[in-house]
Amino acid sequence: MDNVTVNPDVAAEQKRRHQQHEKAKAKQGRKMWLLIAPFLVLVVAFSYYPLFGWIYAFFDYEPPIPLHQSEFVGLQWFKMMIQNSTQVHQLVQVLANTFAMSLLNIATSFLPVLFAIGLNEIRNKHFRNTIQTLTTLPNFISWVLVYSIAFAMFSSSGMVNELLQNLHWIAEPIKFLDSDAHTWLKMLLWSTWKGLGWGSIIYLASITGIDPELYEAGRVDGASKLQLIRYITIPELLPTYFVMLMLSVSNFLNNGMDQYFVFQNAFNQTHIQVLDLYVYNVGMGNNSLSYATAISMLKSLVSVVLLWIVNVVSKKTRGSSII
Amino acid sequence: MNTMNFRSKVSGGLKKAALVTTVAAAALALAACGSSNSSSNKAEKDDGKLMTVTVYDDMANYQGVAKGWFAHYVQKKFNIKLKMVAPNVSGGGNTLFDTRTAAGNLGDLIITGTNHVNKLTKAGLLTNMTPYMSGMKYIKKYSAATDQITKLAGKKGIWGITNSVSSESPTKSSEGLEPITAPYIRWDLYKKVGYPKLNSTDDLLNALKDMQTEARKETGKNDVYAISLFKDWDSTMMQNAGQNLAFYGWEVNQPFALSKGNGSAYESLIDSKSQYVKGLRFLNKAKQLGLVDPESTTQNWDTMYSKYQAGKVLFAYWGYLGQGAFNTTSNMAAGKGFELAPLKNMKVFSMGNQPTGNTTFIGVGSKAKNKARLVKFINWLYSPEGVQIQQAQTTGYSAGPKGLTWKMKGGQPVLTEFGKKAQLEGGSVQVPAKWGTGTWKDGISTLNYVAVMQYDKDPTTGYSYGYVTWPSVLKLNQTKLSKDWSAHMDNATSSMDYLKKNKELLVGAGVSYTAPEDSSTVSTTRGSIGTQIVNSSWKMVMAKNDAEFNSLLSNMQKTAKGLGYDSVYKVDLKNAKAKNALREKTIKQYKEDK
Repeated sequence: MDNVTVNPDVAAEQKRRHQQHEKAKAKQGRKMWLLIAPFLVLVVAFSYYPLFGWIYAFFDYEPPIPLHQSEFVGLQWFKMMIQNSTQVHQLVQVLANTFAMSLLNIATSFLPVLFAIGLNEIRNKHFRNTIQTLTTLPNFISWVLVYSIAFAMFSSSGMVNELLQNLHWIAEPIKFLDSDAHTWLKMLLWSTWKGLGWGSIIYLASITGIDPELYEAGRVDGASKLQLIRYITIPELLPTYFVMLMLSVSNFLNNGMDQYFVFQNAFNQTHIQVLDLYVYNVGMGNNSLSYATAISMLKSLVSVVLLWIVNVVSKKTRGSSII
Repeated sequence: MNTMNFRSKVSGGLKKAALVTTVAAAALALAACGSSNSSSNKAEKDDGKLMTVTVYDDMANYQGVAKGWFAHYVQKKFNIKLKMVAPNVSGGGNTLFDTRTAAGNLGDLIITGTNHVNKLTKAGLLTNMTPYMSGMKYIKKYSAATDQITKLAGKKGIWGITNSVSSESPTKSSEGLEPITAPYIRWDLYKKVGYPKLNSTDDLLNALKDMQTEARKETGKNDVYAISLFKDWDSTMMQNAGQNLAFYGWEVNQPFALSKGNGSAYESLIDSKSQYVKGLRFLNKAKQLGLVDPESTTQNWDTMYSKYQAGKVLFAYWGYLGQGAFNTTSNMAAGKGFELAPLKNMKVFSMGNQPTGNTTFIGVGSKAKNKARLVKFINWLYSPEGVQIQQAQTTGYSAGPKGLTWKMKGGQPVLTEFGKKAQLEGGSVQVPAKWGTGTWKDGISTLNYVAVMQYDKDPTTGYSYGYVTWPSVLKLNQTKLSKDWSAHMDNATSSMDYLKKNKELLVGAGVSYTAPEDSSTVSTTRGSIGTQIVNSSWKMVMAKNDAEFNSLLSNMQKTAKGLGYDSVYKVDLKNAKAKNALREKTIKQYKEDK
């Protein structure tokens, strides 16, 4: 091939073709760009534009005085976060609550899988549907209503206490809601009660997607029901499970605030205050919007650190980074 | 397509999009800033049309458009419908104030704390009422109250008028027959347990214990408790525990520096021996004796109030709570009801009349329409008719509209038959069709605003606005209950009478003192310490034993100090001293004026 002289015509043709190809590619690119543009606008509007609000952390902002009339205070609010050990201790406690409750949620994320498998084994269709409906419904109840149910049942004059007192099992009402005992665990139970049925839907869908031939083959080989679950269902569900796990890890710091907001009171506040709730309490409850903004920036900092850790782990274990 | 290529294109696009959107958003934000209003000093014409007026009201306990006889009256007189915005109802502290002011419109009529005056004028959210003042004789009458606001605004003009203004002496109690905060107990049960001597608060607790046993026996119900609490009014302290302060002459509802009503002593809130911690100990002792309603930690005012109405609570910090809820005509005729407890050595704190008004004010919002009419409305609130009608809100205040609830008879105001039902028997009586619809109770003013002190003299009758001191009503209130109480209380005619005779009353001269605004670091520190104090206080009250109480107390002191309590205390102490200095000045000035 080395000795072949290139025909100038061919070269021109190639060049023309190449240009045409480039043009088509550019056109295609523009089309793709247009397709994705609306979503980019949304991302910018809802994820990047709000970052502009960080500016409040550097001012002494107090409504109704507009920002441009407020005093610029530099890093005053950030210094305040670490000005004394009690304050730092409080922040650490808040972060500990956030991490602990997120970890507990992740640690129990296998429960919907088990629930879905169990549900799938119920042969009576009506019974199964009833159970599924009943367990899915709580997901659609807002936390405020969940709390009113909790209050009706577990307050000192609620159903449970009344019942136990009338049975003469207890003399003093048990404080379920207004005590700081096992706060993390209680919160976990509530969120599990609310989310279990809903969380299992995706696994139920995956189960129906498993190739029936696998089960048939298993049965031919004489596998018992438990063995079918152990060696077919669970391995087949694992990919879905890991995707869901990844998603919940990415929501590590966003473990919600409405649940904790409605359940918080003077007694359990030490252990129920997650980062989002703390920011709300400081900003809205104590009227310190600038300080609250500064604290909320902490969340982004922690997120970046977490992302970095996950990235390092991924690099080490898989050899490729996520970002 | 090569993914790498695609990615780089996307990220390039992303950059562009980000740029475009940021620029657009910034432009929007700038445009929003540019359109901020410029307040004019010229009077605007009234279009005379029916209008709905948004009232931002810190005092209101009702949200939405006002209904009933008061709303009916206002609509007829001013062609105005009142739409209430009530932070008390929506909850969440200052959230509503912050969001509404940040949006640039707090309301057409504004009723809020005087500590907000400066900020509101600075942000241009209040109207200068000066151009509308001709003929507004009642606002002019209380010029000391408008001057007070002008001073706080730091800007020339009339920006509002303070509440609870009075023409009476600042050293005279403003609280009529019953002090607002004092130990009130169920007198009928106190009688049943044999009028035990109350030499200290411990004796009071023991008496309450016996009374609780008695009440449970009487009703056969186990959910009768001597004490029931609520948390709605907690701020930087547990409000209920702080009421004990008033029993011994300390001013209530103070921040971290507590002061005697006459400025003779000062204390730090969290000091182990402070009156506040004593208040906590009192409640904790009660808890340990089984006297505290376990629902205290979760219930709100409404739930608690209905318990008082049902006779399930035996002790009240406030006259308007115990007596307001339980002392109905029929209960009192049967000898049942709340009365002042003869606690030995008490020195009940009572607020004096305030010539310059209290620390709430009413003003007109800068975005309001028909401002002339709104100023006329405010003027009416301070007129005799306005006070009679608008302040018929809580038991013991004004009687209501003349001709409906009261009339003049032999030169004296007397309650009509309707008036008796409305004011003395719970108020669930239907108003006559002429006056609107619904019951009396549901139709009272939702503003919940005291413009003029109710024991000031009504120039149209020659007697006070508050009907409870009318001779005709005093005669009506001679009941089995009051007679028995009087017989055991040195034949006193009222609680105030008893306290005065026994020198157990301490009047804090009435001044309108608004503390200078905290610096933002102080207010933030105050906020986070306050949360700790409130939370710890509740835990302390519910502690199982003294050891737990004490460890919680030292924990609270440590946390508060760690968060910077001392620096805030210093500010509060300075303010408390300034307030008491102002008191002395006011007393001196009043004497000179006379």
